[in-house]
Amino acid sequence: MTRGNVSLTAFLWSVIAFLVIYPLSVLVIESFKIAGSTGWGLANYLGFFKDTYYLKTFWNTLVLSTLVLLTTTLFGVPLAYILARYRHRGKTVFTALILLPIVLPAFAGVFAFIIFFGKFGTLNLILMESGLIKAPINFIYGTHGLVFIQSLHLLPFIVLSLSAGFTNIDPAFEEAAEVEGASGFWRFITVTLPLCTPSYLAGAVIVFLWPFTDWLTPLILGKVDFLPSVAYINIAYHFTDMHRKYMGIVAVVVSSVVCIVLFVLARRWVERKKYTGLSKGTTSEGRVIEPGPVIKYGSYLYMLAISFVVLLIPIVLGLSAFSRRWVFEPFPTYWTLDNFRAIFFESPLLIKNSFLFSGIALVFGVVFGLMAAYVIVRTRIWGTNALDFVITLMLAFPGMAVGVSYMLAFWKDIPLATHWIIMPLALFARRLPYFLRMAHSSYLQLDISLEEASEVSGVGKFKTFFYISLPLLIKGVLVGVVMFFIMAFQEISTAIFLYRGGWETLPIGIYLNWHRGMEFGIAAAMAFLMIVITFILLLIISRIGGGIMKAAWGPGPGGKR
Amino acid sequence: MAFIEIKNLLKRYGKVVAVNHIDLEVKQGEMLTLLGPSGCGKTTTLRCIAGLEKPEDGDIVIDGRSMLAEGFVQPSDRGIGMVFQNYAVWPHMKVFNNVAYGLKFQKIPKRTIRERSLQVLEMVGLGGLEDRYPGQLSGGQQQRVALARALVRNPKVLLLDEPLSNLDAKLREKMRFEIKSLVRRMGMTAVYVTHDQAEAMVISDRIVVMDSGNVVQIGTAQDIYQTPANRFVADFIGAMNFISGEVLTAAPETDSTYVKTEFNETLLCKTPAGMLLRQGDRVFASIRPEDVEIFSERPEEKSENLIKGTIAHKAYLGNFLFFFVTVNGHTIRVQVAHYIPLEEGADIYISLNPQKCMVLV
Repeated sequence: MTRGNVSLTAFLWSVIAFLVIYPLSVLVIESFKIAGSTGWGLANYLGFFKDTYYLKTFWNTLVLSTLVLLTTTLFGVPLAYILARYRHRGKTVFTALILLPIVLPAFAGVFAFIIFFGKFGTLNLILMESGLIKAPINFIYGTHGLVFIQSLHLLPFIVLSLSAGFTNIDPAFEEAAEVEGASGFWRFITVTLPLCTPSYLAGAVIVFLWPFTDWLTPLILGKVDFLPSVAYINIAYHFTDMHRKYMGIVAVVVSSVVCIVLFVLARRWVERKKYTGLSKGTTSEGRVIEPGPVIKYGSYLYMLAISFVVLLIPIVLGLSAFSRRWVFEPFPTYWTLDNFRAIFFESPLLIKNSFLFSGIALVFGVVFGLMAAYVIVRTRIWGTNALDFVITLMLAFPGMAVGVSYMLAFWKDIPLATHWIIMPLALFARRLPYFLRMAHSSYLQLDISLEEASEVSGVGKFKTFFYISLPLLIKGVLVGVVMFFIMAFQEISTAIFLYRGGWETLPIGIYLNWHRGMEFGIAAAMAFLMIVITFILLLIISRIGGGIMKAAWGPGPGGKR
Repeated sequence: MAFIEIKNLLKRYGKVVAVNHIDLEVKQGEMLTLLGPSGCGKTTTLRCIAGLEKPEDGDIVIDGRSMLAEGFVQPSDRGIGMVFQNYAVWPHMKVFNNVAYGLKFQKIPKRTIRERSLQVLEMVGLGGLEDRYPGQLSGGQQQRVALARALVRNPKVLLLDEPLSNLDAKLREKMRFEIKSLVRRMGMTAVYVTHDQAEAMVISDRIVVMDSGNVVQIGTAQDIYQTPANRFVADFIGAMNFISGEVLTAAPETDSTYVKTEFNETLLCKTPAGMLLRQGDRVFASIRPEDVEIFSERPEEKSENLIKGTIAHKAYLGNFLFFFVTVNGHTIRVQVAHYIPLEEGADIYISLNPQKCMVLV
């Protein structure tokens, strides 16, 4: 408990206090202000919960969350089981494809599916041309489309956590059930699934919370009666209408509270419920079954179908990106590089901003994350666990809450929002857990005696960190570095509130191009570009799949190394 | 003059006292072993010497220099070498770099570093493996790398924390002697931690038996085996029969005591030096299995400490024979070095040699 460690912890806390606690408390305080006066009170909250419209949005969001969770679970359980248990060819490719939506920006999927499933989208046009239908079918606009798009985006979280659960079950538990006479489906229901509940819950809570934070998908699909979308519209479009502004702020606070409470409860529950057997663990592969031909081809078909839908996103965006005037025809006919020329030559600023802001955020994130991981894992200073907790909470915080709170907090008293540095700072604060969780779990796996051995060899603490700890941490930390960058690169919910002319990033560019009704092709090309960049980053670290769950949940149920 | 002095050392983890105000001295060139069950405080004591733990009270003096009294001396400044239980060989460095690591941060010419490292590697029997990565070595070889790394800077003190516990039995026995002769040859002062009594007996000049943070007994292997200080030491080191009873006659002028045992026999026992006994004290008449003799017929020449019993179980272990003898419902273990044709269920006599039977509390 040296003085150096104490002042390091104090420094980390002051960063968190300035960039997380202060702005978020400003947000909460703002929500208690009474419009048009200097008074305080619960008026905004009372107004919010008395207004049937806002109550309805709250209810709608809950329903949407439930529907998305049900859908992902229904499709995810068999998928996770197939991936975890069956021996089949192309396992790696299928896994990669099914997990792809995690790293794709959520809005990329929306645009792709509008093009493909829209009223006069590819599918409808094909069906009409073949004479199967007379009028276009509404595949996508409405709650069903929303559930579909969000479910596809979130399916990987369920699949990842469940398949980790399936893999980590000691085969002896299931074998014992079979010896006792419970085989097949009955065994699955009575032993396998219950043993997986902690893993399942870890993924399920992420899925359930998503509709409380995703404002963009409903907005694009024209179905805005959900908490985050209403909050966005009220704050971004009706800032001058005091009542609507405060209703928006209350909506942000309410969804944040829902997210934080559910997230914390789920974590508590997962921690407590982690089943421990006397087993010495299992092989890294877990239990593998050789399925019969029917099940085998059935599962191939199933995986192919889901992979196809996932692949639609980059394919459709690619088609749209390399073409123009793709309207009322199932596939584009006019091919061009114009969209990319527009991006690279007319507005290269967006690309530059994206890399600059994400890069600066990354540098902050890595330096901060390494220091934080060190004090959390290696010291017993008072307050380090709370530090870990606060940072982890940022995983659950809606991006919009960060954006709005920064807008409120760094405007008058601390006018940071007038300088572009606010962009990387906000990205840093929002995406911090992605790197920290990785650094944390790598540090936990770094045997302390490796560091001690260096110290007794006559080498001081500081040099020990650079010659022993850092080289040994690098591998695990690298995954966190790339994850952090990807997540910062595609961030929009926070940035949309903070950007000013000249600070636009690629995601904001995509949104603006759609929103201003400008060329759809440019938006698609930007999204395609982001997918390509993400893909290149993913190639750098191939094992990203387990990575993101690990980022979210530490070394716990996300998977065992 | 002691080379390492531990004075009144106290280390707590929260409310748990790991090391309870102990005093210890290690002589120059001595190999001292801290022996005890897990949680007895032996590793904590070692880590306090290394500077990896900060004790709450007391002082540690190494070669005349206080490690605590005049400000905490960092582990890197203590001039020690340490071998860790899990070797702690750095996986990202070649064997050579592992060993040379500590030297590289001193102002030593490169050539000297190379010569010295290779020399030590040769000494531990790893000559020619300097370009391997630890992952390419067996457990035994990694252990030797750890040893070479600890020795390379010619430390004043070598600390070894259960260095052999991760090796298989055969290799462990071999390494005991190797470590002992290596440390002797280098004339180093060494503190060795183990929970394995045989290892402690082979390797050390003196053994410190610890229990729940306290030092229970200090002595040579022979002292500790033959005259254990109490029941804990006797039980932890070797096997011992404990027959509870009470003191019948205490004769302070002689070193003998009569003990009335729980199975109504009177046994003549030796009183350990310095133990004061009164009539009626609850004690254990204690004897090692190999000091019990077994007879199929009542032997004429023995009269003291002869007890009638029945063989409950017998076990043949090659180099000796083990009998579990039941006396009035209590079991006494007997170990004989030669084969005796006695079967389970046979009625026999056992003789508890009065010279070897001792009173313990």
